Amino acid sequence: MERRAFYRNSTLPWLLIAPQLLLVLVFFYWPTSQAMYWAFTLEQPWGGGNTWVGWENFLSIFHDREYWGTVVRSAFYAICTSALSMAMALTLAVFVDRSLKGTKLFQSVYVWPYAIAAPAAGVAFRFIFAPEAGLIGALNEAWPGVWNPAINGYQALAMVIICHSWLGIGYNFIFFLAALQMIPRSISEAGAMDGARPVRRMFDLQLPLIAPTVFFLIIINLISSFTDSFGLIDTMTDGGPYGSTEVMVYKIYFDGFKGFDYSGAAAQSIVLMLLVIALTFIQFRWVEKRVHYN
Amino acid sequence: MIERSRIFDIVTYVVMAIGAVIVVMPFWITIVAGSQSLQEVSQVPMVLWPSGHLFENIATAWARSDLGPKMANSMIMAIGVTTAKITLASISAFAIVFFNFRGRMICFWLIFATLMLPLEVRIVPTYAIAANALTPFQTVLDTLGLTGLIETLSGVRIAMEWNLLNSYPGLILPLVATATGTFLYRQFFMTIPDELVEASKMDGSGPLRFFWDVLLPLSRTNMVALATILFVSSWNQYLWPLLITTDRQRFGTVVMQLKALIPTPGGSQDWNVTMAGALIIMLPPLLVVALMQRWFVRGLISSDK
Amino acid sequence: MTRTRLLGAATTLAALALATAPTLAQTKFDFWYGLSGDLSERIQDMCKDFNASQADYEIVCTSQNDYDTNLQNTIAAYRANKQPTISQIFDAGTLDLMLSQAYVPVKEVMAKNDEQVSWDDYFSGIASYYSTSKGELLSMPFNSSTAMIYYNTDALAKVGFEGLPTKWSEVEDVARKMKAAGYDCPIGFDPAGAWQWFEQFSAIHNQPIATKGNGFDGLDAEMVVGKGKFVQQLTWIKAMYDEGLIVLKSKDTGEVDQDAFAAGKCQIYSGSIAGHGSVTAKAIPDLHWDVAMLPMLDGVERTNSMVGGASLWTLKGKSEEEYKGAAAFYEFISTPKQAEWWSTVTGYIPVTNTGFEAMKANGFYDAAPYKGRERAIESLTFTPPTENTRGIRLGNYASIRAEMVKTMQNVLFNNEPVQQALDEFDVKGNEILRRFQATYKDAVLP
Repeated sequence: MERRAFYRNSTLPWLLIAPQLLLVLVFFYWPTSQAMYWAFTLEQPWGGGNTWVGWENFLSIFHDREYWGTVVRSAFYAICTSALSMAMALTLAVFVDRSLKGTKLFQSVYVWPYAIAAPAAGVAFRFIFAPEAGLIGALNEAWPGVWNPAINGYQALAMVIICHSWLGIGYNFIFFLAALQMIPRSISEAGAMDGARPVRRMFDLQLPLIAPTVFFLIIINLISSFTDSFGLIDTMTDGGPYGSTEVMVYKIYFDGFKGFDYSGAAAQSIVLMLLVIALTFIQFRWVEKRVHYN
Repeated sequence: MIERSRIFDIVTYVVMAIGAVIVVMPFWITIVAGSQSLQEVSQVPMVLWPSGHLFENIATAWARSDLGPKMANSMIMAIGVTTAKITLASISAFAIVFFNFRGRMICFWLIFATLMLPLEVRIVPTYAIAANALTPFQTVLDTLGLTGLIETLSGVRIAMEWNLLNSYPGLILPLVATATGTFLYRQFFMTIPDELVEASKMDGSGPLRFFWDVLLPLSRTNMVALATILFVSSWNQYLWPLLITTDRQRFGTVVMQLKALIPTPGGSQDWNVTMAGALIIMLPPLLVVALMQRWFVRGLISSDK
Repeated sequence: MTRTRLLGAATTLAALALATAPTLAQTKFDFWYGLSGDLSERIQDMCKDFNASQADYEIVCTSQNDYDTNLQNTIAAYRANKQPTISQIFDAGTLDLMLSQAYVPVKEVMAKNDEQVSWDDYFSGIASYYSTSKGELLSMPFNSSTAMIYYNTDALAKVGFEGLPTKWSEVEDVARKMKAAGYDCPIGFDPAGAWQWFEQFSAIHNQPIATKGNGFDGLDAEMVVGKGKFVQQLTWIKAMYDEGLIVLKSKDTGEVDQDAFAAGKCQIYSGSIAGHGSVTAKAIPDLHWDVAMLPMLDGVERTNSMVGGASLWTLKGKSEEEYKGAAAFYEFISTPKQAEWWSTVTGYIPVTNTGFEAMKANGFYDAAPYKGRERAIESLTFTPPTENTRGIRLGNYASIRAEMVKTMQNVLFNNEPVQQALDEFDVKGNEILRRFQATYKDAVLP
């Protein structure tokens, strides 16, 4: 962007930007280089020394069937939570956008899940889904053994996905509503005058116009499935049963901090970082396009 | 609204009500379970109406998890991260937007690249340097031969050590190292009309004056908005505090305690205490979001992050 | 902001380097342990007693909640130069510590500080686990246990069984009769119990888990579980599970096997002797139960079981004064009085011969609630340790144990064929071992 009114100092800007640069160097770039070092060597847990192994750490994770299982599971998790969360939020946003009387009350409530820490939601949902406790327990009394996330990996995964989707409703809702509200009334009115009914309008008019927001949110939701999932899985299932809720971030945590395989965890981290960078890059491109739309 | 179709209005209200139920239900269950006694909460099926033991359970959870110091730690961490990020973000964005200096674009990309990677994805690298965050500087000094030089001159061997385990800087700084706020401020500063800058220059004010007298007041709303998002997100940090704290009693945060509140198989299944504890832990960020919603929403939308 | 910190840190360090360290009247030293709940309270009591018994040292005892977290935090602290003087490391972490070069052998700590300990007094099964291949004890045995099996004697009587079963075939028979008699849960089973159901089974049947004497003789040991009798045993467990004679009781179902047993819901379960005290405390009134050595397969001679629990490791990098304190503490906990106290308030067994004999002479094991605990010692000392029962000295063993838990879950819940599952387990275990071996390329096995 063009800006003509610059200041001319040469030292002041450096002084101003130094603190953030330093922090970023010390806590972002240096650690990343350390992680690269660990990823290409074998790091002893107690810090005794390193042996250079080149690409071996990466090769061994790519040859590990369990690793690919984790990747597929993470992808599945990401897609399900994003779809579920966005679908719910979009539905709510569309109806709230009609601005009927009393909507403001509903609107303020829908934002609440965003305030909740992942482990807090994890604990609450764990109680809700506990097979022998007061809620699902009732179901288990009617049909004994039907719900048991301790044994059934699919149920455990479903439980975590539901909780994660719930957590995401607030964020998605805010963005969808803002996007819908930015559509000029004139367009909707024109559509109505053309005889299009609300449902029609929604699909033909509104959705295309909020498409940039949809793409933006898809990327954000996908990335959030990497980050917030840890708090959920650690409180709800510990990656179990038999690894059926182990996603990439959890596997990194487990292998590195419980299994003391720092090098393997570092290699996995690098792979994950590249993946997230790729996703964010795609998002930035779309954001650029959105700026051009408007 | 465009049309007033009765049926559609009813459908709208129904959908919104269902949405409200889905969103509120976990909160409701937490309050209900947290206010019940041990027998009541162990009943299957559970009564879905609150009972009278809320404060009692909160007190038990508080004592059991020693939440007092941990609340303080969470508060310190959240406020620390928020203030640090806002301060750094504003001055960095100021430098990038209003100055044309050599290396400006490099600095820009260096900082904004960090937007791409949240802390959870960087736990292993960040942990790698946690033992001694000053290693890069030490390495620079060592490679340049300065350590030896200084030692010969003054007899003092510089061995910089800054250990991040169990410390407030350890909790706060790695979280400050991303560019979230900087991005927001940059977007905002870019909307400042050039005329304002010109006017300030003509008044004889230097850049810092401009920053303090003009920019900061104008960015007040953005600051509050950003503060709300940052407070909520740093309060809710889980993984990083878990790794960087070995002394839970002194440096643990409240969110770390949630897992410990879950009933252990050996003990009594006192979910009521668990839920009461979860409730107070959820409360501060929830209050921020509920009460400061306007700011919060604005902050999210303008930062796109 | 960061700059002033840097300057501050550098100046402080410079100042400290020039100043002389003052000598403290009382030396404080840290002890990190991995027990929680009432076992943690007992340790706190013990620390208080130590501090009260002398004025030179003060021990500061911190619980890290569980063994995994303690090991993780100890490593983190060690890397940051903030390690405790003593850390309680569980059995599976033994080799990780041994190759870490981060410890001082306990024999050295005691010898340097003129503390007398009769090292031969320790039960050979326990000492061998924590010693070098030449018999030098590296860590201080502390809370030792072994795996036992618990029976509800009322249920046994109801199905007409006299005494306590000694064979798995008898257990199967009894369980079937119990099911027929209306007991919903004849045997409570927790897949997290790889230690008792797999490792101890292998020990008493003299089955190797890996070659080279379970890793004692070299880092190049290979897993051999799929070639041993555990295949037969896991098949049997699966069959019993399918028939409903073995019932899942774990943390995730809300009630673990020990609690179910104490509540009278399950009639048989297998666990540590350390649970003996907990069962006594939690048992519903009128629960009649007993503990016995693990059953054998038909036709196999019993060998000794392996010790479980944890030991105390003295870490490097602390001051002489702190090591003196640690030595004093080790001496304190090995006094007969302390040893007996520890075995009374917890279910852990005495670790020395004289300790055990003294307690026997006192009539400790003659009556409830301690009667039956001596069978743990019997199990541990049934035979002198063989090549397969000296202990487990495999790298990153905690991960391998976790793999076994996953394997058992897979077999039980996912119906994976037993031989295939165990062969895969061996492959996975070998990957972990080879990785460990490569990481410690130049290390010499102590």
